[in-house]
Amino acid sequence: MRALIIDDSAVMRKVIERALRQAGLELSEVLQASNGEEALQTLRDNQGSGGLALILSDINMPVMDGLQFLEARKQENLALGVPVVMITTEGNESFVLRAIAAGAQGYICKPFTAEQVKARVLPLLRAA
Amino acid sequence: MSNTQDEAVTRLDSAVAEVFETMLERSCDPLEGEVDTVEGRIVARIQFTGAVDGECLLYASQATASVTAEALLGTPSEPHDPMVDDAIGELCNMIAGGWKSKLASPDSNCTISTPAVTRNGLEGYQAKFGTKFSRKYSFQGNVFGVVLAF
Repeated sequence: MRALIIDDSAVMRKVIERALRQAGLELSEVLQASNGEEALQTLRDNQGSGGLALILSDINMPVMDGLQFLEARKQENLALGVPVVMITTEGNESFVLRAIAAGAQGYICKPFTAEQVKARVLPLLRAA
Repeated sequence: MSNTQDEAVTRLDSAVAEVFETMLERSCDPLEGEVDTVEGRIVARIQFTGAVDGECLLYASQATASVTAEALLGTPSEPHDPMVDDAIGELCNMIAGGWKSKLASPDSNCTISTPAVTRNGLEGYQAKFGTKFSRKYSFQGNVFGVVLAF
């Protein structure tokens, strides 16, 4: 299974990858991007290669934030069947509603445990 | 301390404890009374904009920052590893975000910046905001400080 992790912090990308593995996900490859723009390019580059099962994205990032990434992904029709989970410190309702409206299927608030990641991610993967 | 400041301190202590227990699997407690000055070489800063204007600074010695990065990543880090700065920035981000999420509406309607990290220490730092307080915390003997101004 392949996952894409989008976060401007390399530390958080590592922490999120570790949490996914602790949650029992068998990841064959983890693609990484440090902002929404890089993530779009990664999706373009991987179009047709298949196998991308999950996208996890921070909201608050420089260059292109997580909400802008969701909108741009929709406009470009990129990986629309792949579930997106937002991981953010911005846990307030308006951010969450905006993310869901823009195409996210769930969100996880920082700080988080591997159990919380598992509880959010596994149902989405089963439903996909 | 005023009620506003008391509440802000309680929220900050709770946010710090939550981040350490969840992400680093360590307890972290506020230090009361006289505390030796923390050598604040590495400083991370988050700004609040909106219903609350202000900033949150987290400062730590290089040694404490390295231990923190190691605890967060689960792997050893070198003192000058850029991951150390990144880890301190993320820690500040999560603490500031946790503090903000504990605010009642409408104060919680503010945005937080991405973290900026420097290695210039706190010398010459002056908060531009009306309320300012500083707390020091310890985890496993490693001490760091947090300044909140709004």
